[in-house]
Amino acid sequence: MPLLKEETRQQQSKLAEYCKTGIVPELNGIIEENLHHYRRLVFNIGIDTIETAYPITYRFLPDEIWDKLVYEFYAEHKCQTPQVWRMPLEFYDYCVEKDIQGKLNLPFLNDLLYFEWLELEMHTMEDIPYPSYDTKGDLLKNLLAINPEHKLVKFTYPVHVLAATELEGKEGNYFLLMYREKESGRIQFMDVSILYAYILEQIQNGLTLHAVLTDADSLFQINNFEMLKEHALVFINDLKQRQFILGFLNK
Amino acid sequence: MQLKDNKYIGIGFRKDFSEELLDSTVLKPAFIELAPENWIGMGGYWKKQLDKAAEKFPISCHGLSLSIGSPDDLDLDFLYKIKKFIKDYKVQIYSEHLSYAKCDNAHLYDLLPIPFRKDAVKHIIARIKQVQEVLEMPLAIENVSYYTPVAAEMDEATFISEIVNGSGCNLLLDVNNVYVNSFNHKYNAKEFIKKLPLNKVAYIHMAGHEQISDTVIIDTHGEAVIDQVFDLFEYTTSLLKPVPVLLERDFNIPELEELQGEITRMETIVSKTWKKEHAIA
Repeated sequence: MPLLKEETRQQQSKLAEYCKTGIVPELNGIIEENLHHYRRLVFNIGIDTIETAYPITYRFLPDEIWDKLVYEFYAEHKCQTPQVWRMPLEFYDYCVEKDIQGKLNLPFLNDLLYFEWLELEMHTMEDIPYPSYDTKGDLLKNLLAINPEHKLVKFTYPVHVLAATELEGKEGNYFLLMYREKESGRIQFMDVSILYAYILEQIQNGLTLHAVLTDADSLFQINNFEMLKEHALVFINDLKQRQFILGFLNK
Repeated sequence: MQLKDNKYIGIGFRKDFSEELLDSTVLKPAFIELAPENWIGMGGYWKKQLDKAAEKFPISCHGLSLSIGSPDDLDLDFLYKIKKFIKDYKVQIYSEHLSYAKCDNAHLYDLLPIPFRKDAVKHIIARIKQVQEVLEMPLAIENVSYYTPVAAEMDEATFISEIVNGSGCNLLLDVNNVYVNSFNHKYNAKEFIKKLPLNKVAYIHMAGHEQISDTVIIDTHGEAVIDQVFDLFEYTTSLLKPVPVLLERDFNIPELEELQGEITRMETIVSKTWKKEHAIA
């Protein structure tokens, strides 16, 4: 038998629901004029957290739309994470699930929110052990060691390149490489073409650059391996200089 | 917590001034306190900052989301993460609020007042025992500030005392919260403190607040500690054995000299009230 009586549980539940929705409940023995402080304090924490996580979207959306969105999120959604800094991911998931971008006729909204979340996630995500690697080797024939703290993301809108006001009508295939620098923890962003995204993905899957380029040459109907190799090596050397490509994997 | 040189006063470790604190020759807390929720699972720059802090200071943990007073079941997965964090960072004091922050399967990220009722006392005692069993260490439970009671059957001091005595947990005595509540609910702060199980006090919090009207003070942690709270602190420490004391400052962070000034003032007070040399257990 539960130790907490149903009546007590209900009182707690009503207060919590009030904090989420702002709809004043019937509670026993309260100081009515002070009740609103709880709604204000709870709501402010939520709204501050979301606005800090999504500064671009917050500035882009008109105030009345943003306020309504955050209000509805807080009222309808049950936040699951005990860590408030992870809560903005639930806000993104909520917007996707409720098709907010469709309702607002902003087809790039999901991409924009996800881009903003990724920046936060990349900055805070748990450390991933670096692979063991040598600094000397053959870029084409040896397996390349890459910074494990990265994400290669596909967007339908170039939210990482253009301002939110310029995204309309820019539908396409866009790829973003994000990685966290080991020492500084800074996040680096790199817009990459579909070809280079493919190359990076296959290197990540454990293929040598030579094997990847051989596949890419036919897959992308380039049919000029030497030219592809020349361009790809410029790209790979650039990534090596940026220390995204660390070196050559130890066998 | 083992503290050196009879220094008892720590400070909340906040990202807003973590870098300054780690390099500071001005601010010299005896220890730092952090909310495990803000650090568990975090890597990159902030993990490095945390690790540096752990090398420099003893760490205490003050939780935000365990929601000890919730009608919902305890989040055991989360509790085990806290346990690992406590172990990883050699945390010797883990405290939580005597409030609830989750209800009906929804986190609210703030501290709601628990009804001061007998069934709530029993419910919370069982939960604290469960937490202590999992963590294999005592929990220190904090008296929270509140702006309205809800469906109360008993007074606040009785509620706290029955929970502390019934669960065997420690008490984190937040002096500022006592002051805030004594103002908001019109009771005598010193009389209130005397009613608490003072032999179970393992930790003290001090903070600033904001008076927003003639009848309401909000516990903001965003202002300097006021003289009346320092006075109440002096009175409180005169009744207690030495324990660690924390200065909480979460918002509106001033120059570090100002924070050190508050720490020094507290050190001066406890150097009088806790005259003998003690090793804090």
